[in-house]
Amino acid sequence: MNQDLSKENKTINEIKNTFHSAETKLQRNNRIIVKLRSDLIPPFLSYAKNYLSFNHLSHFSCVDWIEDNEFELVYILYSYEKNLIVIAKTRINREKAEFVTIKHLWRQAETYERELHEMYGINFIGNDRLNEFILEDWDDTPPMRRDFDTVRFAKDNFYTRPGREDAQDVRETITQKSGEKIPDFAKEFSVRNLK
Amino acid sequence: MREKETTLYFGPQHPGITGNMMVKLKVAGDTIIKAETHVGYLHRAFEKLMEQRTWMQSFPIVCRICVPEPDPNEENLARAVEEIEGREVPERAKYIRVMVLELSRLAAYFLWMGGQSGTAGLYTVPQWSVGDRDYILDLFEELTGGRIYHMYIWAGGVRRDLPEGFADKVLKTMDYIESRLPEYDKLMFDNAIFQKRAKGVGVIDKEKALEWGVVGPPLRGCGIQHDVRKDEPYEVYDKLDFVVPTYEGGDIWARAMVRRMEMEQSISIIRQVIEKMPGGEYYNKVPTPLNWYVPPGEAYVKTESARGEFGYYVVSDGSLKPRRIHVRGPAYVHGVSLLENILVGANISDVALIMNSLGVCPPEIER
Repeated sequence: MNQDLSKENKTINEIKNTFHSAETKLQRNNRIIVKLRSDLIPPFLSYAKNYLSFNHLSHFSCVDWIEDNEFELVYILYSYEKNLIVIAKTRINREKAEFVTIKHLWRQAETYERELHEMYGINFIGNDRLNEFILEDWDDTPPMRRDFDTVRFAKDNFYTRPGREDAQDVRETITQKSGEKIPDFAKEFSVRNLK
Repeated sequence: MREKETTLYFGPQHPGITGNMMVKLKVAGDTIIKAETHVGYLHRAFEKLMEQRTWMQSFPIVCRICVPEPDPNEENLARAVEEIEGREVPERAKYIRVMVLELSRLAAYFLWMGGQSGTAGLYTVPQWSVGDRDYILDLFEELTGGRIYHMYIWAGGVRRDLPEGFADKVLKTMDYIESRLPEYDKLMFDNAIFQKRAKGVGVIDKEKALEWGVVGPPLRGCGIQHDVRKDEPYEVYDKLDFVVPTYEGGDIWARAMVRRMEMEQSISIIRQVIEKMPGGEYYNKVPTPLNWYVPPGEAYVKTESARGEFGYYVVSDGSLKPRRIHVRGPAYVHGVSLLENILVGANISDVALIMNSLGVCPPEIER
């Protein structure tokens, strides 16, 4: 299928001319992926917003690449004028997860940063509102990190209701505890078909 | 004399709130001087759960992200996986998807009408609109088996074909809904009480709307014509004839008018879809759905939901399970940074009205 990719290629050239070290990739029509060094992300976002008309912060995400010991920060910008999406990516160290805020560029970035701080433990320098957002009184590993063990968490924090440790048959447990007789019609509903 | 400041907790159980969330208000007299959104009452860690399930097992999870309108979630995830894998979707499935999306938009607008007029004290509209929405839910029940959560759109197409005589039922329901709209006009949109409560309240600055990340009806209510269905047509929206209504003002009234006009457009889209729907396959089968390896890749897809741009950022590392699925609902911006901003200076009694007009849906914020 022949598609007109001139606006994508033009934008890629503009980005390459300004940020020589940027790795750019044309993913498909309307999608450009730009990989940058982490220190170039703030100037790039500012440039994209003010000079390339990417004034809509569509999304801000993070991917945990635990095998590389890195977090990938993903900024998705949209230009209403060009009708084009730029996905700007960078990687930061997972151990000392720290990055600069972009809330001075887009006020809604504050919300995304609060979430990523809570879920991944990334500290956004300059964001003074990294307080409790979704979780309450959380002092465990940030839960969206891939080394957070959900089964361990559930076992530590929740318990089986007393009397339900067995086959989850409440009727049988009650009978055993109270000595009460089960009426005949009810026996067929029981999991173990009590005699 | 300076009035005494008081802290007021609006929600999470307030009937005017649009779900379980809380807005902490600092008020001086009747006027709000500071607002802070508090969420977390509906956090179910869906994104974490999906990282531990196969791709197909994620579909019953995503629809639960938004109760009033679950289908954009399914469609987004399906389209993202298809984009990463390069899977073709049959033409018929695309038409069925658009029909489902538009039906769900109409259902969401009926629920919004109920909420919006209920917060203005017009209690007849909610009774009517919830009743009329049920006719759409009946259609969903016949098509998918579920009234609220459908799990109908999935990777490769849709789960099953239209039942016999279903298209006729949809058309009849559309005729009925269209005949009801003038009644709603009389009851709600022409009502002096609603107009007085809506005009000039909860105004979004047109100059700032794009930069603040406002999307959907609130953006079009500022007179800015943007709609994902036109800007980046997905499925078969490029083959359908519809307009994107806008309204000037940026207030609750403008947003209400945009939604009212969009209802007519949705009815028209559904009729066109039924007329143009081709025959053939409805599902490009994934060979083994629960043992399905999606090649490494990433995709950002977006849908125009009833409340605005709904985006999914999906990453696959080539394994059985998603590496990352990150959801961007319109309420993520509308319910936190925008709401906190435009509530300042508003009246306490207008909080519920403003929240409803922005379409704040808390489960989208915390997922």
